[in-house]
Amino acid sequence: MLETATVGPDASGVIAGFDHACLSHDDHVVFPDLTLRILQGDRIALLGRSGVGKSTLLDALRIRLGDQGAWCPQANALVPTLSAYHNIYMGRLAHFSRWQNLLNLLRPDRTCWREISALADTLGLDGLLRRQVDQLSGGQQQRVAIARALYQDRPVFIGDEPVASVDPRQGVRLLELINARHQTYVVALHQRELALAHFDRIIGLDEGRIIIDAPANELTSDDLDVLYVTD
Amino acid sequence: MSRTDARPGWFSWLRGDNVGARLLRLTLIMLAITLILLPLADLSITTRYPWKELGRMLQGMILPDITATESPLRALLLTIAFALWGVMLGIVLGFPLALIFMRSRLVRTLCAFVRAIHELFWALLFLQVFGLSAITALAAIALPYAATFAKVYAEILTQIDRSPARTLSPGTDRLSRFVYTELPLAWQRLSGYTRYRFECALRASVLLGFVGLPTLGYYLESAFRQGRYHEGGALLWAFYLLIALLPWWAHRRLLVPWLVGTAFLLGPWPSVNPTLLWQFVSHDIWPQPLLEGDFAALPQWFGQLPDLLPAIGNTLLLGLMSTVGSLLVCLLAWPLVSRHFGNRGTRTLGRGALIVMRSTPELLLAFILLLLTGPSLLPAWIALSLHNGALIAFLAARHADEVIPGLPGIRGVNLYSHELLPRIYPGILALLFYRAEVIMRETALLGMLGVVTLGFHIDSSFEYLMFDQAVALLMVTAVINMAVDVLSRRLRPNALPERRDQPRPAPVGESV
Repeated sequence: MLETATVGPDASGVIAGFDHACLSHDDHVVFPDLTLRILQGDRIALLGRSGVGKSTLLDALRIRLGDQGAWCPQANALVPTLSAYHNIYMGRLAHFSRWQNLLNLLRPDRTCWREISALADTLGLDGLLRRQVDQLSGGQQQRVAIARALYQDRPVFIGDEPVASVDPRQGVRLLELINARHQTYVVALHQRELALAHFDRIIGLDEGRIIIDAPANELTSDDLDVLYVTD
Repeated sequence: MSRTDARPGWFSWLRGDNVGARLLRLTLIMLAITLILLPLADLSITTRYPWKELGRMLQGMILPDITATESPLRALLLTIAFALWGVMLGIVLGFPLALIFMRSRLVRTLCAFVRAIHELFWALLFLQVFGLSAITALAAIALPYAATFAKVYAEILTQIDRSPARTLSPGTDRLSRFVYTELPLAWQRLSGYTRYRFECALRASVLLGFVGLPTLGYYLESAFRQGRYHEGGALLWAFYLLIALLPWWAHRRLLVPWLVGTAFLLGPWPSVNPTLLWQFVSHDIWPQPLLEGDFAALPQWFGQLPDLLPAIGNTLLLGLMSTVGSLLVCLLAWPLVSRHFGNRGTRTLGRGALIVMRSTPELLLAFILLLLTGPSLLPAWIALSLHNGALIAFLAARHADEVIPGLPGIRGVNLYSHELLPRIYPGILALLFYRAEVIMRETALLGMLGVVTLGFHIDSSFEYLMFDQAVALLMVTAVINMAVDVLSRRLRPNALPERRDQPRPAPVGESV
């Protein structure tokens, strides 16, 4: 990741940003000249076709935020051969010593198990914690990934398509849950209706540029069409 | 309604009904059996000054004497010649067999049998008829390699994409169909595997020196046995260079020049006496009572065989110990060469160490260790574990390098224990069980060094010209190896139920 400029948190409420930054992925420039400010309290939906650079942008943001950001990767980033409990626990690996972590693999720590059970209940994962992740459905895996991010307990939630493979009703519930625990979040999505209904600010990406950056209540579904036109 | 589960107890993860728990159970059972049986193994050190001897050896490695061997270049070229022509003959024999392999149970059984006997045992057998000649060397490599090629080529050919073949018009003849739509798709894997086998053949060719054929191994053995470590060091370095420079000197384009060039080196050619050959095949190798039709005397003949049970026990025990040992070596060693750990410097060092462990033939490694410890299971155990562990570690590291950790910024023990090992462990076990068959075969072989496994009795039977007994023991060895092969195929992780969308390493090409 190439960084050319930074904007730190300041009195005006900016918690992270890019100022004419050049972002690349695998030595391939994705955003040649990116300027973006994320403010305290922003609830941002990131839209755009797949491959447009949503993950690259989120990744850069994650690095910029350091330990302020709770990272929710796509569900395929989970470890398939570990249990749901251990995958969620991994959110706080850095919190504990390596020996505690190894011991926890053999026998879950009492406090952690209690906390994670409570979290799992709210996400509808109750009774599934001992299950190996590759035995869970796509939607359940997605909720495990969200649980991992929530367990990190950090101010800013960054999600890479956290509600991609769940049905719309459940998607709404999960977004509300994220909303309840975080003041600020940036979430990549592909359901534009969810974006319009549950977010304050919408950022649309196309061809290495930000082509939409507006409050959600000023946009309609038709305005977003431009993001998905293929020519 | 809350279905929150209770916190799992210490051993609850063993009871789970998923692939991870099953593999852990399997590992722990293997470990437990090994630990229980370990007191039965003879692990004594009988030499008096092992460390002093090791020091002298290292000195020899550091200060090699390249002038000591009389004609090192000839030994080197002969090693290459046997390996190259042995593999060529193996392909010529094995490829047609591969085409009928899946259709003929007879061919499959025959190949399994031929493969179950190590190259060196074949060499011992042919030695009785053809003497120390090129025929012995070539046949000893070509025969088991043909059987292996038949099996692996057949597996590769069944795995190719069938859809191009279906687009051809139904009238297309079989040969055209094969040459146009099957061979091109399989070509890369076929040649990749053949190349890997050539490297194995180089090691086998070196080992042929241990039965007296004048390859590198011959000079290596005598140098080490007589304590001329500076000469031995030079020869060992020559061998490592040969393996390390393989991509350059064994380039595809140089194949024909090498074949033509080394053809003149092959030799000596023996004068085979047909009467003696017939006598050997029809008479010498069969139990006397069987030839005379005196079946009542058979039990007595069996009674004359050396005490088999301890030898079989030792063979199996060493096989199990070495399989577990390889697993432990692999688990410790793979991070050394993985991109996830260390820096460029440590990885280069790690790769160097593992390449040395992997390329040294087990028999040679065991032989060197044996000079340090004296004849017990210990040197054999260490040698087999180091060699096979290093080999699996390389493949495991390559598998791990493809993993992109889901948690950014995770490092060290946490990365190893949470992100990487859980993902690659099924692959490691699969490779280990593929390898178990090879380990078993080598276990028997190590008897030639004086470790009391089956190979010890085979070697001494040949020495006393008791061919009937030697062949009978070879059969026992082959049957045990085939049984272990079947067992390890049962235990191999991809025989366990799993979801199909989960990528698994297909280790066929590199570990058989």
